[in-house]
Amino acid sequence: MKILLAEDDFASRKFMDKQLSRYGECDVMVDGEEAVDAFMMALEDGEPYDLACLDVMMPVMDGYQVLKAIRDIEAQKGIPKSKRVKVIMTTALNDERNVKMAFELGCEAYAGKPIDVEKFEKVLKKLGLI
Amino acid sequence: MAEEFNTDSMLDMFLYESGQLLEKLEGIILEKQDADCFDDSDINEIFRVMHTIKGSSGVLMYENITKVTHKLEDVFYYLRESHPDDVPHMELVEKVLAVSDFVTGELDKLKSGETPDGDEKQLVEDLDEFLSRLKGEIKKQGIEMPQANRHVEPTQFYITPVAGDDSHFYRISIHYRSDTQMSNLRAYSATYALKEVAEDLLYTPDDILSNEASADVIVAEGFHMLLQTKSSKEEVIALIDSSEAEEINFDELTKEEYGNALGEFGREDAMPAAQPAEAAKADDKEAKKEGPKPGDYVVKTKEAGKGKTLAKNQPKQQSIISVNVEKMDALMDLIGELVIAEAVVLQNPDLKVPGLELSNFQKASGQLSKITTELQEVIMSMRMMPLTNVFQKMRRIVFDVSRKLGKDIELEVIGENTEVDKNIIEHITDPLMHLVRNSVDHGIEENAADRTSIGKPAKGKITLEAKNEGGKVYISVKDDGKGLNKEKLYQKALEKGVIENKPMNEFSDKEIFRFITLPGFSTKEEVTEYSGRGVGMDVVVKNIQTISGRLDISSVEFEGSEMTLVIPLTLAIINGIVVQVGNSPFVIETASIKEFVRVGEDDLIHEPSGEEYIVLRGECYPFIRLNEKYDLPDSINKIEEGIIVVLEHEGSQVCVLIDKLLQEQEIVVKPIPSYVRKVKGLSGCTQLGDGSIALILDIAGLLMHDGERR
Repeated sequence: MKILLAEDDFASRKFMDKQLSRYGECDVMVDGEEAVDAFMMALEDGEPYDLACLDVMMPVMDGYQVLKAIRDIEAQKGIPKSKRVKVIMTTALNDERNVKMAFELGCEAYAGKPIDVEKFEKVLKKLGLI
Repeated sequence: MAEEFNTDSMLDMFLYESGQLLEKLEGIILEKQDADCFDDSDINEIFRVMHTIKGSSGVLMYENITKVTHKLEDVFYYLRESHPDDVPHMELVEKVLAVSDFVTGELDKLKSGETPDGDEKQLVEDLDEFLSRLKGEIKKQGIEMPQANRHVEPTQFYITPVAGDDSHFYRISIHYRSDTQMSNLRAYSATYALKEVAEDLLYTPDDILSNEASADVIVAEGFHMLLQTKSSKEEVIALIDSSEAEEINFDELTKEEYGNALGEFGREDAMPAAQPAEAAKADDKEAKKEGPKPGDYVVKTKEAGKGKTLAKNQPKQQSIISVNVEKMDALMDLIGELVIAEAVVLQNPDLKVPGLELSNFQKASGQLSKITTELQEVIMSMRMMPLTNVFQKMRRIVFDVSRKLGKDIELEVIGENTEVDKNIIEHITDPLMHLVRNSVDHGIEENAADRTSIGKPAKGKITLEAKNEGGKVYISVKDDGKGLNKEKLYQKALEKGVIENKPMNEFSDKEIFRFITLPGFSTKEEVTEYSGRGVGMDVVVKNIQTISGRLDISSVEFEGSEMTLVIPLTLAIINGIVVQVGNSPFVIETASIKEFVRVGEDDLIHEPSGEEYIVLRGECYPFIRLNEKYDLPDSINKIEEGIIVVLEHEGSQVCVLIDKLLQEQEIVVKPIPSYVRKVKGLSGCTQLGDGSIALILDIAGLLMHDGERR
C-alpha cells in the first residue's frame, strides 16, 4: 500500500511514519503544498496513493485545503468514488465543526490527536486497506 | 467533574444528542405505554431515533451501541413497512426501554471517561427472537414481507483521541546563569529531550535555533515551556539537562490552566477548555454561517521572536451561552451582598441627623432600590428551570414499579412546566421519587378486586401536580388507593415507641399522619423491593427541610392519600419584617405572619406549669415571651405594652411577644456561623441597614421547642 503522510511537526511525523510504515511505503511531506504536489505526481505516474494522512495545521496549505484539492483533482480526472484515495485527517483540532467540515469535504476518517493506535488500525481495516 | 475529562467536542456532541434523543424516546414510550399500539408517527420517530444513534455511534465506533440500536431499528422497520396487527405492545415497550437503558448506561460510561464495554449479546439475542416472531406474525397475516432493511455501513469514521485525562500539564521555566554561552542550544536540547515524552510541547522564545539573538532573550528572560505529557514530574526533571541552569521552576497545571496558558504562548487554538455540550450546541447554530473553511488553519510563516500563530480569527456570535453554575452562585451571593450594602447605605445612621435635606437622596435611593430588585429578579429567573425533566423521571418510575408489582396504574401529570430554582430541583428529585414509589407500592391496592368491590375503577390513578402559589411551589403526589388508617398508624407508633403514651384522640389527624415521617416507622409488614424498609419518609422530610420546605400529608381511608411538598421558590432572599425585643432585632418571614394584635392581661391564661396561652376570638394559642426565652434584658414584659405577633407554620399557630415593629425589608439569609451553638428557634441571621446583626426566627423550631416543653 502506498501512503502519503503530511505532517509539519517533527515528533508527530516521526511517530506517524513509524506507525504507517508497518502497512506500506510511506512518503513523508512537511507542508500542505508538498502533499498536493506529491499526490499529483503519484497520480500522473499511474501509482496513486491508497491512503493519505493529513495534519490540519501546516504551513502554506492546511489539511482541509489539501483534502479539498485532492478531491477536486480526483473529480476533474473522473476518478470513481471507490478508487479515490482514502483520507484520514490527523489533528488535535477535533472541534465538532471542524470534523463535520472535513467529512463534508470528503475525508474517510478523522483522528483526534493523540492518536488511538488501536482504533486507527480498526479504521484501516474497515476501509479495506489492510 | 466527569465532563471535564473529555475536551473532545465530537464526543460531547454525540453524548448530548444521543441523550436528548433517548429522553425524547422515553417520553414517547411512556406516553403510549397504555395504548394498544404505537401509531405511525411514533413508529417513525422511534425508528428515526434509533437510526440516528446507530449512525453516530457507528462513526465513533462504539460497536455495542451500534449493534443494539441497529436491531431495534430493524424491529421498527418491519413495523413501519408492514403494519402487522397483534404486536405484543407491552413487550415491545419493554424492549425499547431495555435498549434505551443499555445505551444510557454506555453513554454514562463515556461521560465518566470510561470505555463503553457493556455486553450487548443478550439484548441483541432477545431482539432477534422478538424480530423473528414478528416476522412470523407478518407472514401469518399474509402481509407482503418488505425488503430487508438495508443498512449502509458508515463510510466515515471519527477516531476519538486517546483519553487525555491521565496526562499531566506542566509549566517549566529555566533561567540560565548570565554567563551561559549558547543558551539557545541548551534550551533546544531541553526541548529535544522533552519531545520524547511530550504529547504537546510549546516554548518561548520558539525560534531558538534560527535566531541567534534568542540566546540573549533566554538569558535575560528565561526559557519557558508548556508541556503535556504522561510522564511524572520526576521523569521530566531527569530529562532536562540542569547544568548551567540557575533555576528551574516547575509547576503542574490543571487542564484548564494549561488551556489558558496556551493562549499566552501565542497559540490560538488554545484548547477549548472543557466546553459543555450545550455550548457546543449553541455553537452549532452559528456554525452554519460561520463554520471553519479550508485554509483557516494554515500555519503562517513565523516572525522572529513570536510564537506560532494560526490564521484563524473568526468573530464568534452567540445568542446562548452556557455558564458554570458556580459562577451563577457567586453572582447570586454578590447580589445578596449588594442588597445588604444597599440597606446599609439607605438606612445609614448618618442620615438620621436632624435637619438634613434628603429629597434628592430619596429620589436616587428609590432608583437604586428599583434596580437592585430587578437585578434579583433577573438572577432568579436565570436559575429557574421547569420541572419537566423531574416529572419525566417519575413517569418512568411509575411504569417500572407498577409493572413489577403487577398493578395497573395510570399517571396523570399536571403543571410540569412550573419553574423552580435549579438548586431546589436537585434537592427534590430524590424525595419526590420516594413519594411516587410509596404511592405505587403502598397507596394503590394490591388487587384490582379490592378496588372494584368498593366501587372504584380497577385501574389505579396517581396524580402528580405542581403549581406555583404565593412564592411557594406545591408539588403533590396523589393516589386514589387505600389511604392511611389512623388506628393502625397510632398502634404502630406506640409499638415502635416513637411517640409518648397518650390516648389517640389527643393527636390531630395531621399529627397522626405525620408519624409515618418518623425514623424507623413503616406500617407495611412486608418489605418489598421498593419500599417498606422504614427508611425513606424520614429522609424525605429531612431533605425537604434542608431547603426550608415541608411535607403535608392528607388522607382519607379507602379514598386515597395526598402528599404535598411545599417549597420556597428561592432560598437566599426572603421578605421579612424586622421587630425588636429589648435591644435585639429579630426578623420574621412575612409569609408566616398571620396578624399583629394588642391584647390585655385578661386574654392571658396561666397554666400551673408556667405555660401561658392567649385567647383570641375564642381560640387558644400557645404564647412565647421571646425576652424570657432568650434572656433579653430591658424589654417590655407587660403584655398590654408590647405587640403580639401570631405566627403560623404547617397549620399550627404560636404567638410571640415583641416590643415594637421596625420595618419590612428584603432579607438576605445567612447561616448562623458554625462556632455559635445551634439555637432552637433561630434559622439564620442577616445584616441590617445600620450594620447590626438580626436573628431570623424559625417558626417550626419555635413550635417544636414549645411542644417539647409541654
